[in-house]
Amino acid sequence: MLNFLSPGNLFVFFNKINKLITKILLPLAIVSLVFSLFLSPPDYIQGDSVRIMYVHVPSSWIALACFSLIGFLTIFNFLFKFKNSILIYKSLAPIGMSFCLISIVTGAIWGQPTWGTFWAWDARLTSMLILLVFYILFIFSYKFIQNQNLSSKICATLAALGIVNIFIVKYSVDFWSTLHQTSSVKILGDTSIDKSMLVPLTLMLLVFLVYCALIFLMKYRAEIIRMKKKGLKRL
Amino acid sequence: MNLSIFTMGGYGLYVWSAFAFTFLVCFFLFLKSRKSLKKLESDFKDEVKKLSAEQVDTLKKGKISKEILTSQSKAK
Repeated sequence: MLNFLSPGNLFVFFNKINKLITKILLPLAIVSLVFSLFLSPPDYIQGDSVRIMYVHVPSSWIALACFSLIGFLTIFNFLFKFKNSILIYKSLAPIGMSFCLISIVTGAIWGQPTWGTFWAWDARLTSMLILLVFYILFIFSYKFIQNQNLSSKICATLAALGIVNIFIVKYSVDFWSTLHQTSSVKILGDTSIDKSMLVPLTLMLLVFLVYCALIFLMKYRAEIIRMKKKGLKRL
Repeated sequence: MNLSIFTMGGYGLYVWSAFAFTFLVCFFLFLKSRKSLKKLESDFKDEVKKLSAEQVDTLKKGKISKEILTSQSKAK
């Protein structure tokens, strides 16, 4: 299993699926946009502003999922020195940061017509902002700290603290009284969102995931080439 | 022309700006990732050109290097 996860094998495998991803991304994006902007019904209270949900919610999920994965990989690398995990988390962090930014900005845009304000210092919004700060610090710590050992220690510390923040983000709407609503889509429970809205939401999530895969493949390839370039000097 | 597609019941500005922002961030990340990848690939190619034939043969024995060099020659 770990042999399959070696940089060489992953590099070859990722190159093979790259073309497939590029082919399906655009048609899938067009279908999802048609569903989310035109075919899905307006909400009976929020009206058409509910359509912002189709970019806001999947972005938030991806931002949280990326950091959870980064946290796991960083700690895994710190404990077992699994070198490939460094390449993977370095490729994931910019993607997660971008989606965290999208989540915050689209949330603020949605907040204005719904709550009457772009921003409020409530638990969910603030913890998402803290997540963005964690992403920035994480990226800075592996980009600008030259000492690999120190960088990996700082990354592991940030990842561990960031994981705590992930739990705060997730349960903030349950623990505190917030402007932000509680979850409508639950993996282990009843989903309170209608199918007519769940379909475009799922499609948009799929588009974002395919896009993430495309960017991840490019970033991973870049990290591998960077590593190989350093190795050329030793030939 | 049906303007309700654009106005969205008065929420058009919010909805379109949210989608536009998402698209811009995604497009920027795509361009930036592609640019840095292309630069690294061309730098790698330049470095390989400086190597001797023997060193290039050794390099091509590796799965990754072989894949990078093959995909570059395909891209030409």
